[in-house]
Amino acid sequence: MTVGDFEHKNQPRWSEYERLVEGMEKGKPGAEAGQLPRRFRELCVDLSLAEYRMYGERLTEQLNAQVIRGYEMLYRNRRGGWLMAAEFVLAGFPQAVRREWRLFGLCNAVFWLPFFAVMLSATYDIQWVQAILGADGMAAMDQMYGGKEDQIAHLRSEYGSNFMMFCHYIRNNVGIDFRTFAGGMAAGLGSLFFLFFNGLFMGAAAGYVNHACNPESFWTFVSGHSSLELLGMAVAGMAGMRLGLALLSPGRLPRVRALAEAARLALPLILGAALMTTLAAVVEGFWSAQLLPSALKYGVGLGGWICHIAYFTLAGRRVTYAP
Amino acid sequence: MTTRKLDTLQALELAEGVEIRLRVAGPMLRAGAYALDFGIRLVVMIAASLVLALSGIALGDRVARGMLLLAVFLLEWFYPMLFEAGKRGATPGKRAFGLRVVQVTGSPLTFGQAFVRNLMRWVDGMPWFTYGFGLASCLATRRFQRLGDLAAGTVVIYDRPPVMPLPATPPPIAPVPLPVGLTADETRALVLFRERAGLWSAPRREEIADQASALSGASGATGASRLMAMAHWVQVRKQAAAIPNRNHARSNNK
Repeated sequence: MTVGDFEHKNQPRWSEYERLVEGMEKGKPGAEAGQLPRRFRELCVDLSLAEYRMYGERLTEQLNAQVIRGYEMLYRNRRGGWLMAAEFVLAGFPQAVRREWRLFGLCNAVFWLPFFAVMLSATYDIQWVQAILGADGMAAMDQMYGGKEDQIAHLRSEYGSNFMMFCHYIRNNVGIDFRTFAGGMAAGLGSLFFLFFNGLFMGAAAGYVNHACNPESFWTFVSGHSSLELLGMAVAGMAGMRLGLALLSPGRLPRVRALAEAARLALPLILGAALMTTLAAVVEGFWSAQLLPSALKYGVGLGGWICHIAYFTLAGRRVTYAP
Repeated sequence: MTTRKLDTLQALELAEGVEIRLRVAGPMLRAGAYALDFGIRLVVMIAASLVLALSGIALGDRVARGMLLLAVFLLEWFYPMLFEAGKRGATPGKRAFGLRVVQVTGSPLTFGQAFVRNLMRWVDGMPWFTYGFGLASCLATRRFQRLGDLAAGTVVIYDRPPVMPLPATPPPIAPVPLPVGLTADETRALVLFRERAGLWSAPRREEIADQASALSGASGATGASRLMAMAHWVQVRKQAAAIPNRNHARSNNK
């Protein structure tokens, strides 16, 4: 059977197959789309035959391309939607955080130890804080929290500034989460750096405010979104550390395989971290700067921390979740 | 034991029992696609800022500025992600260059893979947005994978393989039987030599044929024509073994 015979004999089937695949690619599968798997398998056999019989590169390339086209369509991922998102929030994400509880401890320690160390150092010696913040940083803190009255609320009084700040926080903070995750690629050093750096800087800011500004205006502002934002950052760090550890100690897998496996485990973490940070931006944009009684704002902040502890320890305990 | 070949053709076996070949795309082409995507993003950004500057009169200056920040954020991180997770598996730039992103198994990307691959872009882009790390990783891996590709388990391939120029096939020759048995890969190389012979000048053809003078037992023009005769013999024999209208699924083994 020569190339010509082979092509001549099978051409009708191939054109039929092409028609079906094209319908799928355009998102308009016809009534006989159910035939596609069968036609696909036939085409696979044709390709093997063409390869075996050495029908030449032109034909094998053509069949190869057609098989790939069909493969892309048949093995397409059609899952998604609200149900999956709900499953992820209610079970997948807290389960992933619990599974990596050691990393949760590590990342929180890398953030909170420098935070408290620097913040408390302000009561003994303000120089550390001054060195970290620099002149510009201190001026900015003075401008926001320096006076007796609530300056942040005044800064936000102009129409639309809440929305603008919300967008700014999303861009800035979610971007930091993503970089913290990607930084894990440097054997985890990038993730640790971001956590440590933010711990130092925020600790310095808090220490400076306690020392030189009006602490109440600062703490009432940050309390509302603190749990979402800081835990979100720690979770992003966990995702990055998962990658970094896979590179450092791949176990019995080759490093590249270990990395791909780790990325699969880290995916729910970074998705959840992005979600938390986005929510933090909503709170920070629209709630934290409102002029409300301090007790209410502290209460909401504390409530946030309690909710998070409950969420991470209890949510999705009885559910088996397979992403 | 054969050494690992340096080849942009990646053979994969599917569950259907057939082997497909993916053509992996190299860094040059991908850089071009990236530049195009960058241009597209720039144009979208300029258009968005113009529209928002105008609508800022109605919406309020700060709302417009906020939306612009949001647009920057989305274009920065989600532009490649959403396009690659979509049906085409490619950003507009990649599509224009005939590329697409697939899993290393050849199947389409999942959203998670598109997400991971594009977050890692930040690391690949270092130092100073030169994509130095990505390039180094591409050159160090067999399938031109940047770090994001390695983490997500993806490769960039040619969506539609380039059309091979069809040279006039040399006239049929009297088939010459192979003196020794060849492996499948060697046979394939022999047949490809015959098919592509029309693409090369005669001296080039002989130069290539001289590499296999042990097989043909001759060098120069004689060697080249004998190799082609042998390739002809292989093809004739393989194709004669196939009887029309037989059950194709059970072709005899090699």
